[in-house]
Amino acid sequence: MLSRVADSLYWMARNIERAENNSRVLSARLINMLEASDTDAVAERDWEEVIEICSSLSDYKKEYSTFNPDTIVQYLAFQDGNPNSLANCIGFGRDNAKSAREIIPHELWECLNECYWNSIDVDRQYWNLQEVDRLLREIKLMSFTTQGVIESSMTRDATYTFIQIGKWLERAEKTARILNVMCEKARKESENPEEHHYYYWLAALQFVNGHDAYLKKYPPAISAKDVLSFLITDGTFPRSIQYCVNHVWDSVKDMEGGKVSHYSEELFDAIERVKIEFDEMRIKDLQMHELGEFLDQFQNHCNNIGHIFSKTYYLIEPTDSSVGVMTQYQN
Amino acid sequence: MLKQYDSKAFFDEMMEMDGKPKSHYEQFHDILNRFSVEDLHEKNETAQLSFLRQGITFTVYSDKTGTERTMPFDFIPVIIPPDQWEQIEKGMKQRVKALNLFLEDVYNDQQIIKDGLIPRELIEENPYYYKEQASGLKIPNDSHVFLAGIDLIRDEHGEYRVLEDNLRNPSGMSYVFQNRFVMRRVFPEFFNSHQICTLERQLSNLHEALLSHAPENCEDKDHPIAVLLTPGSYNSAYYDHVFLAQQMGIELVEGRDLIVKDDCVFMKTIRGLHRVDIIYRRVDDDFLDPEAFNPDSVLGVPGLLEAYRKGNVAITNGIGNGVADDKAMYAYVPDMIRYYLDEEPLIKNVETYFLRDREAREHVLENLDKLVVKNVGSSGGYDMLIGPHATKAEIDLFREKIIQDPAQYIAQPTIKLSRAPAFQKERFYPCHVDLRVYVMGGKKLKVLPGGLSRVALKEGSLVVNSSQGGGGKDTWVLKKGSDDSC
Repeated sequence: MLSRVADSLYWMARNIERAENNSRVLSARLINMLEASDTDAVAERDWEEVIEICSSLSDYKKEYSTFNPDTIVQYLAFQDGNPNSLANCIGFGRDNAKSAREIIPHELWECLNECYWNSIDVDRQYWNLQEVDRLLREIKLMSFTTQGVIESSMTRDATYTFIQIGKWLERAEKTARILNVMCEKARKESENPEEHHYYYWLAALQFVNGHDAYLKKYPPAISAKDVLSFLITDGTFPRSIQYCVNHVWDSVKDMEGGKVSHYSEELFDAIERVKIEFDEMRIKDLQMHELGEFLDQFQNHCNNIGHIFSKTYYLIEPTDSSVGVMTQYQN
Repeated sequence: MLKQYDSKAFFDEMMEMDGKPKSHYEQFHDILNRFSVEDLHEKNETAQLSFLRQGITFTVYSDKTGTERTMPFDFIPVIIPPDQWEQIEKGMKQRVKALNLFLEDVYNDQQIIKDGLIPRELIEENPYYYKEQASGLKIPNDSHVFLAGIDLIRDEHGEYRVLEDNLRNPSGMSYVFQNRFVMRRVFPEFFNSHQICTLERQLSNLHEALLSHAPENCEDKDHPIAVLLTPGSYNSAYYDHVFLAQQMGIELVEGRDLIVKDDCVFMKTIRGLHRVDIIYRRVDDDFLDPEAFNPDSVLGVPGLLEAYRKGNVAITNGIGNGVADDKAMYAYVPDMIRYYLDEEPLIKNVETYFLRDREAREHVLENLDKLVVKNVGSSGGYDMLIGPHATKAEIDLFREKIIQDPAQYIAQPTIKLSRAPAFQKERFYPCHVDLRVYVMGGKKLKVLPGGLSRVALKEGSLVVNSSQGGGGKDTWVLKKGSDDSC
C-alpha cells in the first residue's frame, strides 16, 4: 500500500472518531443545559470543559471573551478557524477518504459523503438547536455505520489495520483528555464536598457513552475511583484507555506477523512502555493530582506513538489540515 | 408522451418528422408511454441524487463555496442500431490506427513529411510536438495511443462525422459506466426488453491493453506493475481516475508517491520502495517531469523522462501525442488514412478549409456569414467565429485576422448538430448531442460499445461541455440478432 494512502486512512479514521466523540460531548452538554438550573458561574465552567475537550480553550479565548452557548456551539460545530470543529472533521475525513477511495469499500465513502452533504445543508450562520441536534445524531450514526461497513466488508490486511490504529489511538486520547479535564476540575474544587463531584464523573461517563456499561458493573453509585478505574484500566469496556492501547498493540503485532523487525522496533518499544505503565498502575492508590500527571504523560505517549508510527511506515509529512488536527493534543 | 415535441429541421435521433419514433426506438417509446410525467420526474430526481451520493462529481474551479457539481443526467438514451455501430467501430479503429502510425512516423523517419503530404512547419511549430523528448524511442507494440476519445457528431442528414480527436488524456469513461449503472437502477423496466451490448468485459479489456505496454527492461514481463498517475483529488477529472484505477485494480498514485532512482521508477509504500513498470498518466506532458518539461511543475516526478527513454518504464498515452490531435492536424487525418492504410476514411471529417490556401481563403472570405472560423492553436471555444450568429463587426474583425495571419485559422461549414429528446423539469424538449467514442490500444485496437453521449441541456445551446450546462446520456448499442460478441 502507498504510504500516502495509508496516511489518509489513518487520518480518515481519526477524523471520523473525533467527529463522533465531539458530537457526543456536545450533545450531552446540550441535554444537561436544558435540565440544569445552574448558576451562571457553574454553567460557564461546564462550557469551558466542553471546549477544552472538543477543541482548545486557549484558541477559543483568543477569539471570544464570553461563554455564550450559541457562540460555543457555533465554534465547536461549524467554525472554519477551529480545526476540530465538526464541519472540519467531516470535511477532512471526507478528503482523506477521497484520496484513498480506490481501496476503501464504496459504502464507506458514500456514508461519509452523505454526512458531509447533510452537514453542508445546515446554514452556518442561522442554524437552530434542533438542526444542530439532528446533525449531531447524524454524525454519530455515520460513525457507527462506517464502522459496521469496515467490520463487515473489509479484508483484514494493512488497509484495515491502518484504519483501526487511527481509531484506537484517537479514542484512547479522547478518553484520557476527558478524564484529565475532569480531574483538573475536581482538584480545583477540592474544598467542595465529594458529592458535588458526582456530576463531573457522570458527565465523563456520558461523554464516552459509558454510563450504561458502568452501571452494570458497579453499584448505582458513582464514585471518582470507580469511574476512573473503569475508564482507564477496564479491560472489557471498548473506550477505556487500556482497552484501546491493547488493540493498538494487537493491530501492529498482527500487521507485522508477530515479529519485531529492525524498522518496527521503535514502535513496539513505545507501545510496550505504555502497556507496562498500565500494568504497574494502581488507580485506587493515586491522588487526583497524580492522576492528572499520569494522564498528561499518557497523552504525550500517544502523541509520540503517532509520530513513531508515521515514521515506521513512511507516512507523508503532515499537510496543513493534519498539522491543524495534530496540534490539538500538544499542550 | 412526446406529442408537443417538434424535431424541426434538425436530424433527430429518436423521432421521425411525422411524430412517430424511429424503428429502433419503438420499443423504448412504448415503455416510456406507460409512465406518467410524475413518475418520470421522480425517477429523474432519484437518478440525479444518486450521482451526488456516490460522489460522482467534477470540480468547478471558479466557485468557492460549491466547488463540486454532478454532471446532469438525462435518462432518454441514445440508441444505436447494430449495423450503424459496426460502421462506427470500423471507422474508429481505422482512424486510430492511422493516427498511431502517424505518431510513430513523425517521431522517427518522418516519411509523411518527406513525401510532401504534411507541411514540415505544421509539425515543427506545433507546441505539443516534443521532438527532443519523444523521438527515436522503441515503444511497446509501437502503441502511442492506449486510450483515445474520438468526438463524433451527426449532420442534418444523420451522417456521423468526426469533430475532434483526443489522444492525450481523454476523460469521461467512468461516466459511461456510471450512466449505465444509474440507468439500470432507476429504469430496470427498459432493460428487460432490449438486447444491449454490455460494458462488463470492457474494463478487463482496458486492463489487458494497459499491461501489454510493459517496457523493454521490465523485470517480470508476465506480471508488470501498472499505476495510474493522477494530478490529485482537486483535479476536475479525479473521479474518472479513481474509477479506472479501482476497476483495473491498480494503484492510484500522485507525483509525490513516485521516485526515480538509477533511472528506474519506484512507488513509496509502507514497506519501502516498489518498482513500477507502466504508468497510465492522466497528467499532461508539460507537468510530467520538471527536469524535462516545465521546471515549475510540482505534479511530476523528477527524472521520469530519463527512465522512460532508457526503456525502464512505459508511459501511456505516449509523450508528444498532442501533435496528432490539434485542429490543424485534424484536417490531414483523412490523408493519413489514405497514406498509411491505403483506405478511404469510413467516417468523414467535417469539411475543413485551410486558409493558408489561396483558393480556399477567397471562398471563405466571401462566405464568412455562413461558416465557423477557428484558431488552430486555441480550444474551449476561444477565438472562434460562428458566422450565422455573428454581428457584422465580428465578421469584419475575423476578416482582418485571417488576412493578417491566414495559417493560424481554419474554417468549417456550420453543422446542424443532430438532436435527441431530453426530459428535464417535467417536459420533453429537443437538445443537441454528440458522442465520444473510446478506443483502446494494446496488442490490437478495441472500441468500447457506445461511449459517452453528451447533451446540451440548455435549450438551443450547442455547448455540450459539462462546465457549461452540458449533461450525459446512456448510450445503447443494440445487439445484432443472437450476436454474443459484445
